[in-house]
Amino acid sequence: MFDLTEDPLDPGPVVEDVRHPGSGAIVIFLGVVRDEDHGRKVRYLEYDAYRSMAEKEMRKVGEEVLARWPAARISVRHRFGRLEVGETALVVAVSAPHRGDAFEACRYAIDRIKEIVPIWKKQVWEDGEAWLEGHPVQG
Amino acid sequence: MKVKVRLFAGLKDLVGGPEITVDLEEGATVRGLEDQLGREYPRLKPLLASLAFAVDEEYKARDYTLRDDDEVALVPPISGGCDV
Repeated sequence: MFDLTEDPLDPGPVVEDVRHPGSGAIVIFLGVVRDEDHGRKVRYLEYDAYRSMAEKEMRKVGEEVLARWPAARISVRHRFGRLEVGETALVVAVSAPHRGDAFEACRYAIDRIKEIVPIWKKQVWEDGEAWLEGHPVQG
Repeated sequence: MKVKVRLFAGLKDLVGGPEITVDLEEGATVRGLEDQLGREYPRLKPLLASLAFAVDEEYKARDYTLRDDDEVALVPPISGGCDV
């Protein structure tokens, strides 16, 4: 499942999406809002997303994972809107028959999400705010 | 012809809204739209080179030919997930 939601993320159901009898390993990644960036105290983050396209691109990441690791299963949730420090912005769960593939596939998925899924975050500090620039998309 | 241009993140603040309509000549490419945006919205100009363009939710190269009524999204460098 590939989903973008405004609601708080619960990793439990994401793990269950990928659990099956052939999976000997499940790797789960949580991206969490940190309280500082480059020495500045972060109050909260605001995520903006091109929602319909973001869900499509998340599914593409899933297809890429399955093309490389055919025995893997993957489920992804990304949150948008306002997130407080300590809240979960991203959950990626990947299962595979063995842990090596599960770790690698999960890492690959996170990297690709950050390259192609159109989501942006604004950091709000005590004394200002700024939209962060990450990866330029290779068109 | 007219295309609908969708804006996100900081671009929305720069242009003053999430959506604009741009008039283009028939057969205009993404590059043509980029040039037109630079003329109509000088504040966008320094950012245009760093943007990707998505037409009807698919990333397209600058030589892609637009059609009337296309929805074009300006995609600034992505910063999803948590750490950049």
